[in-house]
Amino acid sequence: MTGSPEVRVTKMVLDVLKPHQPSILELSKLLGELDGVSSVNTVLREVDADTETVVLSIEGPRLDYDSVLDVIEQCSASVHSVDEVSVEKVDTDD
Amino acid sequence: MNLLEPIAERLRRFRNYVRITEADEIARRYFVMNAFDGSLTMLGVILGTFLARVHDPRVVIGAGIGASLAMGMSGFFGTYMTERAERTRKLKKLERAMVTNLNETVWDNASSFVSFWAALVDGVSPAAAAIVAIIPFLLAQLGWVNFNSAVALSVGLILATLFFLGAYLGRVSEENAPLSGVRMLLVGLVTGLFIWLISSGGTHGSALILVALG
Repeated sequence: MTGSPEVRVTKMVLDVLKPHQPSILELSKLLGELDGVSSVNTVLREVDADTETVVLSIEGPRLDYDSVLDVIEQCSASVHSVDEVSVEKVDTDD
Repeated sequence: MNLLEPIAERLRRFRNYVRITEADEIARRYFVMNAFDGSLTMLGVILGTFLARVHDPRVVIGAGIGASLAMGMSGFFGTYMTERAERTRKLKKLERAMVTNLNETVWDNASSFVSFWAALVDGVSPAAAAIVAIIPFLLAQLGWVNFNSAVALSVGLILATLFFLGAYLGRVSEENAPLSGVRMLLVGLVTGLFIWLISSGGTHGSALILVALG
C-alpha cells in the first residue's frame, strides 16, 4: 500500500559569500555531516581581500534547506542566491 | 569516555576559534614577551633586595607575590581591552565586506574567545615566571635552604627560564634553539650586572657604571 507522494530536494546549488576562514574544506565537511546529505562539491569562484565567493553543490536523498542555511550562517557566510534545485517525488508508505 | 566528550568538543571548538582568528601567533608573542618581563622583574626584586642587605625571605616573597599579581592583573586586563578592541574592529570590517550581521556566528564567538584567551596568556605568563623565581624563598622560609642559597637558586631558575624562552623562540623561528637561548640568557646576565652595579652603589659601583657607559 502506498501513501501520498513526498517531494524531496535531492540537489541544490548555492552561491555563497564567506570570509576566508573557516575554509571551504571545513564548510564542506560540516555540510557533509548533515542528515540527508550524501555529497558536497565546493568550487571557489572569486577571492577578495576579506571574503570569497564559492559555489556549493549539495546532493543527497533528502536535503533540508534550513539545516544547510544554519551551517552556512554559523560559518559566518551568507547565501547570495539559490542557483539550481532538483527535487524527486517519492511514494511513501503510510 | 562520555564525560570527556563535551570537554574534548569544547577544546576542538576553542582550537578552531584560535585557528580562524590566527591568534596563535599573537598568543605566542604575548607568552614570551611577558614571561620575559616577569623573569626580569623578579631578577630586579631579588638582586635589589639582596644588595640592600635585606636577608628576610618574607620580604622577597611579599614583594614577589605583589609584583606577580600586579603584572598578572595588568597583563590580563590590558590585553583583554586591547584585543577586544582590535577583534571588534576586525569583525566590523568583515561585516562591512560581507554586508551582513555576524552576531552569534563562528567569527563573533571566536573574536570574544580569543580576546579572553590572549588576555589569559598575557596575565598568567609573567605571574608564572615570577612565581617560579619565588619558590626558593618559600623553601628558605620553611628553613630548608638558607637565604643566600635561595638567592643563588632563584637567580639560577630565572636564568634557566630565560634560556628556555630564548630556546622556544629559536624553535619558533626555526633557527638554532640553544643559541637563541644563550642570547636571551645574556640579556638576563647583563640586566643582572646593571642591577648589581646600580644597587651596590658606592665608588666601586659608580666607577664600573662609568666604564660600562664608555
